[in-house]
Amino acid sequence: MGLDRLTACVVAAAALLVAPGCDSGGHRPARLLDGRPAARFDRVDGSVIAFGRVVELDARADRCLAAADRADVSADAPAVERVGVNGASLTFANRDGSLVYACDGGIDLAGERAPPWCHTVVGEVQHHRVLDPRLDVLCSDRSRRPLAYAFVDPLPGTRWIGVRQDGYVELYEVLGSLPVRVASTRGIDAPNARASFEISQYDASGDELAHGEMEAAVAG
Amino acid sequence: MRTFLAMLVAGFALSGVTGAQAYHRFWATCNSDAPTFMTTMTRDAAQDYANAARYEGYQWGGGCWNYDDVDSYPSDPPQETGTHGEGGDCSGLTFKTWRESTDTTRDGRYYWRALRNVHGPYDAASFRAGNGAPNHTVAKATAGVMDAFASSTHIGMVFVRSLYGGDQIVEAKCETCGTNIFYRTYRGDSAYGGVGRWGWTG
Repeated sequence: MGLDRLTACVVAAAALLVAPGCDSGGHRPARLLDGRPAARFDRVDGSVIAFGRVVELDARADRCLAAADRADVSADAPAVERVGVNGASLTFANRDGSLVYACDGGIDLAGERAPPWCHTVVGEVQHHRVLDPRLDVLCSDRSRRPLAYAFVDPLPGTRWIGVRQDGYVELYEVLGSLPVRVASTRGIDAPNARASFEISQYDASGDELAHGEMEAAVAG
Repeated sequence: MRTFLAMLVAGFALSGVTGAQAYHRFWATCNSDAPTFMTTMTRDAAQDYANAARYEGYQWGGGCWNYDDVDSYPSDPPQETGTHGEGGDCSGLTFKTWRESTDTTRDGRYYWRALRNVHGPYDAASFRAGNGAPNHTVAKATAGVMDAFASSTHIGMVFVRSLYGGDQIVEAKCETCGTNIFYRTYRGDSAYGGVGRWGWTG
């Protein structure tokens, strides 16, 4: 075989090797973390709607909320349960609404927390906004990739919070007058305990109200 | 008159820049050097490390300070990680004092220099829960020197155990109160739990 043909073969082989790599990630997932089909919102290209509902807290947080905090959280407090593609969370407030809690789902790499929850965060609320996104980088997804959680404060009129993921936009519905707990496997700087989220906010008809990067760091 | 006005404008512009430059001067000294892996970690040395951070300020999500006994930026807005002020926050000070790794599965001893800007992956609630391989919960009654008390929003380390119910606690408390040693009654406060670090060698 001549050098040119050999080169052409090498190039073709390399292309074959690379092509599946490009296509293997970055596609719209068909299912959420718990196996339910991933719904889409037609007004947002490549979207996946994370499941969300408002429930009564009851005993749902028993395995994530510290005993010392339980007295300050009512058992019938409204809680927002969310299941996305890689993450799941439970968000609720204390009795006077000054603190918001999130139980973050995932695998605790240190092996000290049994699923579904791997960590709990607490955020301080002032004027109906959480002061800090309360970044959590202690969890990983089922593939043991780092998973980051953060709160997003919705703007007035926002119905959906969109988070850019690899190849799709994950949409979280604004529910229960609480900040929205979002999850992502993108943009995580684990050694520096930081993460950046590409966030869009949409109104009920799917019109984009805001778009930007949200930088978050572990603090407090 | 024209010259005077031009100089006045230039003067205002320069006076505005001074603060930003000073800010930059402090922040420029912070670094991202690798920690030094240590085989030892004594409670005495941890006391010295935390004691040296006194008066250096408080920065939400921060972990960089020098040793000039002055908070370069004492009035940053609270709960803003991007203000690049001096000092650690409560969990950042604990993380560095306890010589922890940024990898939660590692429980070795990593010495971070004061100017190394690092906070670590734990917040106060994580410490309280004993999250991470180097951390564990302890009974509050038995918490000793350089163990800690943590709530869902704050953590402070026992500097000296006191006789009358409280303790001298070394902690990074807030922007206005900075990092210092304070008398606290966290030991008797139900919001706080006891936390310890595995691996003391003395």
